[in-house]
Amino acid sequence: MATPEEQIAVQLLSSKSLPVSAAWLNSFVASTAHQRNVPLSALTQTALFRILASDFRDSLSTRTSSSLLPVDTSDPKVQQRQLQGSIPVQVLDIDAIGSSLWSQVEAIERVERGEAIRGREIVRTINVGEDAEQAADGTGGNNTPASAQPETGNSNGPHRLVIQDAAGTKAVALELKRVNGIALGKLPIGAKLLLRNPTVARGMVLLTPESVSLLGGKLDSLDQTWREGRKERLIARITEMQGEQSA
Amino acid sequence: MTVPRVLCVAEKPAIAKAVSQHLSGGSFQTIPVRGNRYVKNYVFEFNFGGPWGTCSVTMTSVIGHLTSLEFERQYKGWLSCPPGALFEAPVHIAVDPDKTAIAQNIQEQAKYCKALFIWTDCDREGEHIGTEVRKQAKEGNARIIIKRAKFSNTEKAHVLNAARSLIDLDDLQANAVAARIELDLRIGAAFTRLQTLQLKHMSEALSEKVISYGSCQFPTLGFVVDRYLRVKNFKPENFWGIKVMHTRDGIKVNFLWRRIHLFDRAAVTMMLERCLLAQMAKVTKVNQKPTSKWRPLPLTTVDLQMMGSRYLRMDSQKIMKVAEALYTKGFISYPRTETDQFDKGIDLKKLIEKQFPDTNWGQYARGLLDGGYRTPRAGRHNDRAHPPIHPICWVSPTALSADEKKVYEFVVRRFLACCSEDAKGQTSEVEIQYGDEMFHAKGLIVLERNYLDVYVYDKWESSQQLPNFQIGELFEPTEAKIFDGKTTPPNYLTEPELIGLMDANGIGTDATMAEHIAKIKEREYVAVHSRGSGRNAVKELIPTRLGVALVEGYDNVVAGLPDSPSLSKPFLRKEMELRMREICAGSKSRTEVVQESLEMYREVFIHTQRRISMLKGAVRKYMIEDAAS
Repeated sequence: MATPEEQIAVQLLSSKSLPVSAAWLNSFVASTAHQRNVPLSALTQTALFRILASDFRDSLSTRTSSSLLPVDTSDPKVQQRQLQGSIPVQVLDIDAIGSSLWSQVEAIERVERGEAIRGREIVRTINVGEDAEQAADGTGGNNTPASAQPETGNSNGPHRLVIQDAAGTKAVALELKRVNGIALGKLPIGAKLLLRNPTVARGMVLLTPESVSLLGGKLDSLDQTWREGRKERLIARITEMQGEQSA
Repeated sequence: MTVPRVLCVAEKPAIAKAVSQHLSGGSFQTIPVRGNRYVKNYVFEFNFGGPWGTCSVTMTSVIGHLTSLEFERQYKGWLSCPPGALFEAPVHIAVDPDKTAIAQNIQEQAKYCKALFIWTDCDREGEHIGTEVRKQAKEGNARIIIKRAKFSNTEKAHVLNAARSLIDLDDLQANAVAARIELDLRIGAAFTRLQTLQLKHMSEALSEKVISYGSCQFPTLGFVVDRYLRVKNFKPENFWGIKVMHTRDGIKVNFLWRRIHLFDRAAVTMMLERCLLAQMAKVTKVNQKPTSKWRPLPLTTVDLQMMGSRYLRMDSQKIMKVAEALYTKGFISYPRTETDQFDKGIDLKKLIEKQFPDTNWGQYARGLLDGGYRTPRAGRHNDRAHPPIHPICWVSPTALSADEKKVYEFVVRRFLACCSEDAKGQTSEVEIQYGDEMFHAKGLIVLERNYLDVYVYDKWESSQQLPNFQIGELFEPTEAKIFDGKTTPPNYLTEPELIGLMDANGIGTDATMAEHIAKIKEREYVAVHSRGSGRNAVKELIPTRLGVALVEGYDNVVAGLPDSPSLSKPFLRKEMELRMREICAGSKSRTEVVQESLEMYREVFIHTQRRISMLKGAVRKYMIEDAAS
């Protein structure tokens, strides 16, 4: 009979297309060894949950090339090609390229001041004494850090992501057609995606509802640093661009 | 039987005269009032009907508010007490020194009268002025009966009707004004003294100045500064887009990209390449549908000010002055109203008919009554006091000043437009898919101009016509290429925009917005600059160094403090305004509201005192360091 490790691995590969690394699985099973009599399905569930919260470079196997991005994915000389297979990746960065960087900075600053815009009206989102409950269950503006979604109309996309596969290969992915769940403030850093036979054009992986599905998860520490540093990075990029323009 | 005597008091001399003329049928006696050149007593007889019957009437007026709220004498000196003490220092109501003769006249007349009929304007302020008049009358005659006339224009039939259906004063509205007056006095004086005393030594330019604070003034200034900083801090960025053009039947059709533009050149280049790879574009949608441009809503004060300053080249305060004059002369209805729906009872056709003699729009008015008439659209606002602004009668242009002519013409054209049919047209839309990208082109034919013929302020023009496209059809676009551009900063705030912001954020009322804007100009917190020239010149509001310093200073004072919004933001004032409304609705008492609002502002006051260095720092930064460099 197959070991629990093998059973979990098969299960996750067939249902989620995740080729879990044997080393990772061993230590996972070892860490859960004290919980006896846990049904295998529950154990698989826990494994999946941990994998989604892990760094794919630690938890996935790199042995099958069809579950990896080709190392030359980002080559801009290739006009178009289709990758074969299911490729799990994690999100390292997300950007809305339909909105200017500056408008995103302004939106962040509004949130920092505790304001939101509703038409021409400026609305306070910080709770004001007696309305504490309302504010908390309403917009939840209370503790939302700088990551808040830009409120402006064209912030919906398209989004440009930086993705990374289990081997550490990075690539730019572009939301060519609207994909639910891909949005600033919605898709955390470290979230896991599964690419299915995606097209790559000029070094960019094209995302459409057919070519990608969202697995969920995130990398907590990465996500937090990303949020905290977002405004600064936007400003730095603006400064850099202006340097280029004047040069 | 002796005829009972009644005293009528209007808010302004001109209204007293106009009402007297209507009630007396033109024959009245004019008696000067000792001590005031403007106020007159008009004496005549009138039958009020109902319980009153024929009365001997003395019609007089006040000139706006009779009294002011002030601090007791020992608190009046700027150095008499710490500014914070003004939050609870005793206050009293006193007749303004230049109004004593008017107050005296009312007391005197009341002695001989059985009743007082108040004819102040029917809005919150008018209700409060009514209580001031009542107080004087009661001093003269404690048993006098008080009634009020409800009217919204000085057209004869309307005035006669108001005289015969008297109602009671609304003390709730008067209380709301009393609360507002007390809050304005205490908060205004406390902050004005604090900041003036603290800042005056910092710069030569400030030494002789009163740096006033007002709970509406500052948020108004805040909007101007906010936009100014957005312009100043703005960083331009490049963007790229795809333009598709196709020539058919000799027409060049430009298709617009659904994504408009993106801020990533590589992505756009790749997308264009995929369009070109696909070669053929496919028509995914062909739409022809009737469309209309809606006739405007009935005119409110805010709209008059916004549209007026946009199209008539006058600032909002000027427009209100002129509208006020037109109202007083009986040409238009009361110009302070929030209502954008006409009451069913009002005979609009009769009002349209009155415009027949006009050489410019008389013909159009006739057309309306010959079948072009449509019931005006109803907006969502109704202040239950006044109808939308509309003309009362026709007036020959020669009887008006140049400014009056412009405002009157706008009011009439707007009114006729309201009663007209929407403009009708047809749009055609073609949508194509080219590669993975969607593009569309739109055309418009205006078929019937209708209201546009009289409402010359709206523009709606036919555009280029689209050639025939079939749904599902494939074609190879003549040209597809990348275009690029740069984001541009917003413009500085204009007065109509500022009014819109004040309205949306509850700063001031339709009656006072123009005053607040005038105030921040007068205090030299903002200056007016012209952009462009000639007919296209736009007047923009730009803050002065002092204006920016005050806003930044107050923002810094509360920075990092939870629950303490800056005085430059609309939030505190908006809450106060909501509480005024609660007084009017009877759900809160005047004392409660005064206490609650004072508490909110006192908290900010304490922060400001404690962190006054922030305010001084901002003044130093803009007034001294910046000015020197």
